[in-house]
Amino acid sequence: MSTVTAPTQGAASQGAVGGSTPGSRKAPITYAVLGLFALVVFGLLGQPGSSTFSVSTRTDLFQITPIGVPSRLTAIVLALVCLGLAAFAALRAKEGRRTPGWVAGTFAAAFVLAFLTWAVAGESIPFTGLLQGTLFLAVPLVFGALSGVMCERVGVINIAIEGQLLAGAFLAAVAASLSGNVYAGLIAAPIAGVLVALLLAVFTITYAVNQIIVGVVLNVLVVGVTGFLYSTVLTVNASSWNQPPGLQRIAIPLLSEIPVLGPVLFRQNLIVYLMYAAVIVANIALFRSKWGLRVRAVGEHPRAADTVGIKVNATRFKNVLLGGAIAGLGGAFFTIGAGLAFGKEMTAGKGYIALAAMIFGRWSPKGALGAALLFGFAEQLRISLGIVGTGIPSQFMLMTPYLVTIFAVAGLVGRVRPPAANGTHYAKS
Amino acid sequence: MKIATRAAVLVTASALALAACGAAPEDEPEETTAGGEEETVDEIDFKGCIVSDQGGFDDRSFNQAGYEGLQLAQESLGIETAQAESTAETDFVPNIDSMVNQACDLTVTVGFLLAGATGEAAEANPDATFAIIDDQSIDLPNVKPIVFNTAEAAFLAGYLAAGYSTTGTVATFGGMAIPPVTIFMDGFVDGVAHYNEVKGAEVTVLGWNKDEQSGEFTGNFEDIAAGQNVANAFIDAGADVIMPVAGPVGGGAASAAQEAGDVAFIGVDSDWFDTSPEYADIILTSVLKQMGPAVFDVINESVQGNFSNEAYVGTLENEGVALAPFHDLDSSVSAELKSELEEIQAQIIAGEIVVESQSTP
Repeated sequence: MSTVTAPTQGAASQGAVGGSTPGSRKAPITYAVLGLFALVVFGLLGQPGSSTFSVSTRTDLFQITPIGVPSRLTAIVLALVCLGLAAFAALRAKEGRRTPGWVAGTFAAAFVLAFLTWAVAGESIPFTGLLQGTLFLAVPLVFGALSGVMCERVGVINIAIEGQLLAGAFLAAVAASLSGNVYAGLIAAPIAGVLVALLLAVFTITYAVNQIIVGVVLNVLVVGVTGFLYSTVLTVNASSWNQPPGLQRIAIPLLSEIPVLGPVLFRQNLIVYLMYAAVIVANIALFRSKWGLRVRAVGEHPRAADTVGIKVNATRFKNVLLGGAIAGLGGAFFTIGAGLAFGKEMTAGKGYIALAAMIFGRWSPKGALGAALLFGFAEQLRISLGIVGTGIPSQFMLMTPYLVTIFAVAGLVGRVRPPAANGTHYAKS
Repeated sequence: MKIATRAAVLVTASALALAACGAAPEDEPEETTAGGEEETVDEIDFKGCIVSDQGGFDDRSFNQAGYEGLQLAQESLGIETAQAESTAETDFVPNIDSMVNQACDLTVTVGFLLAGATGEAAEANPDATFAIIDDQSIDLPNVKPIVFNTAEAAFLAGYLAAGYSTTGTVATFGGMAIPPVTIFMDGFVDGVAHYNEVKGAEVTVLGWNKDEQSGEFTGNFEDIAAGQNVANAFIDAGADVIMPVAGPVGGGAASAAQEAGDVAFIGVDSDWFDTSPEYADIILTSVLKQMGPAVFDVINESVQGNFSNEAYVGTLENEGVALAPFHDLDSSVSAELKSELEEIQAQIIAGEIVVESQSTP
């Protein structure tokens, strides 16, 4: 889980707010408090017995026997690791040096594992399933958040992510069903997203309509149009219009054989692999290329960008369309990616959560990935622990996603700053 | 450039306008008179109307079933009909109002979530009559509750699931924690418990704790992928029979079960074998809630002038609830289990086994 909360080390130079500022005492104190909490609650007050983590799924070729660990001892060891990291961070802060990024990641992993060992004391939890569910829940969020990053980095707020996801899901299902070819759906989905984005771009950039209003209207429009077509066309002849084939899982040789993480990360369908590629490419393009510099200039100070000869509105237009294509592709995950037929409003507000992930990820692609994975993990944790039926009251379990978010926001993210020209219209004067 | 963008705007604007025209009938109540079709029955001066909840009339679930009851009444009784589909909770009140304004003799509101809006409309319009499915909180002379003791049929499903399971683990989850959903889960859990008691077995149920009334919910009836994800988590935990009580979200669970290969699926509301034939090979049975016939009966009574506010309660006895046939998996269910199920059904009808639930109507 080191990717979950790993802050972007040196990201300050990339435009996003960086990890901890040198010499700051906030992070070490947070770590120490949480480490003590883990030591006392998860370790010393924990139940005796053993916690079992089953790491292979039923379909694995070779089965690894579930790992059973003594609950209390493991939790104490992990809590001590947390405290050790807190001490290390404090030392670095005292020396006035920056805490390396891996500290936060390792801390989060150790803390979460300590929590898990405590929560499943005397029970067994499917650990691989937990991670698989996390990724499953995170994929549409990552695409949505990436779309948001592409748009907001040039200063256009994209509330229409929800609509773009839904349009992508719809057209992917229809195209794949009609052609009988799943890849037709994969091509159709970004087109649907681009169509929605085109409306957004025309109204906000060319005609200077308020960006948020256009976005909200577009979401309602897509819900209405897809819902109408669903009722009138898709349900009438479901077998030819709405029974898309699903994307096959592709196991990457060697990588998929890695225990635990292999099947989770590298036995997935094409959309997930495209997601990895999209995050990496977007991150490099935004922060390490000339194109990225121009894009960020347009989002931070359009007038300055204009004076050096960057076509502000053309750049915005292109990026909004690009964002639409990304979100549309993410929408395909709901239907052909998961092997499901289209259903009314099946994106169920994921587009809005993606917006939150974008902000949480500080408008950077890898931050968005981390935030989406964290949201996915918190939700999947709730589901998995609910199923295990631990001795902990279910009401407390329901709080975990929010506790994790608050912990991450307060302890690891710090102040976030949107692109300066976000949400503003640009006209030459 | 200028001309091109103008043309683009024109195209998109007209697309918007067209879309608006196209989508309109969904939100606006649409009037369909019986006269348009070839009728074998005489038209009568009675207007039956229906308002859906967010699921819409094509949800393959209870809205659709209720709507089919109305259509049946239109065809065989010759009544006029009108319907309004809700896409959000904010549609409930305007949709019911528009039905009242169209002088509907009887307005059927589908679903527990419409209880508030229905109650207000009934109070404001004492001359109009209403029937509400899945709720009996309204105590007014002009509101007839149509409720179902689905726990009885779900009890059978639980017993069947426990007997069918080879892993000794079965699962259920819901869309939202509301009584018409949890009553299925209560019955299911009790059915499994009964099996354990009779057979001395130790089949566990994941996803619902009857005593604490807490369990696994997706939080809505739309997020089909969430249903798939929850079902996968159950399958990881060893469940090999899954009963989702979540409308269309159940389709996600069916998909997960199909992918897993050796997991059976129990549908709810209508017979999923008919409504979702793509999952035919894994559908063990369905817990039927016969809303169509119930709506028809209530309309029929009303047409004959016998409207009453006495609740219609669907039970195993009056066949308002039932267990669907096993269809493709019929050969996998042992004859012994089948006869036990018949026996239990008879015992429930005779009152020898009492299926209890906090949500029992």
